[in-house]
Amino acid sequence: MSDRAITVIGFVGIIAVLAVLETLARRKIGRIPTLGEWLGFVMRRPPGRALVLAGWLWLGWHYFAR
Amino acid sequence: MTAGNVSTDEAAPQRAAVTDHHHVPFSGGDVRGQLPAGARPARNAIVAAAVIGYAWLLGGAAPFSTRALIEVLLPGAVLGVIAYARPPERIPAPETVDTIGFSYWIIAVALLFEWEASAVRDDRPWHPSLTDLINPLIAPHPIKTAAIVVWLLAGWALVRR
Repeated sequence: MSDRAITVIGFVGIIAVLAVLETLARRKIGRIPTLGEWLGFVMRRPPGRALVLAGWLWLGWHYFAR
Repeated sequence: MTAGNVSTDEAAPQRAAVTDHHHVPFSGGDVRGQLPAGARPARNAIVAAAVIGYAWLLGGAAPFSTRALIEVLLPGAVLGVIAYARPPERIPAPETVDTIGFSYWIIAVALLFEWEASAVRDDRPWHPSLTDLINPLIAPHPIKTAAIVVWLLAGWALVRR
């Protein structure tokens, strides 16, 4: 297996873990919050809201303007 | 009937009237309380067409161009104006989140950042960054358009939080 394949598998694995966490959270298995719940919690205060929205804007710039 | 002793059936119209008076959701029910959320297919179709059209336009902008930059910043500005001038009905944020459950997310996100940072640091073809992997996938115009639509919808979802 090439080093590149290992890198790709690493990314796929981590993204799969994120998907599993969201699935578990939506099915109310354990005490895991959904992505929306913890983002909402972080965004309760203005600095958190600004940080999350800036991250969203950065994602758009990074993938669609560059 | 007194104000403090209202039966369930009698109170319903009063509650509806109070709700209509005090809260006007931007994207939920009709402004005049005539239609429930999602019951305006013509408006929804126009909004969907506008979003897809804008995404198609942005998807066709040349990378690193001023046009692409402006077309990315514009939705941010629009959402910012909406968020402050005419905020939509917000989904209530939880008072608290479970620390252990939240920590799983933090660990996974930190892993993603670490994996990405190591790829960016190495900057070698055998250790590509997430960007290097995603950019070829979203290069076709229709797929890029779909990705931009998802990004725009995510922005709207964040404004509602």
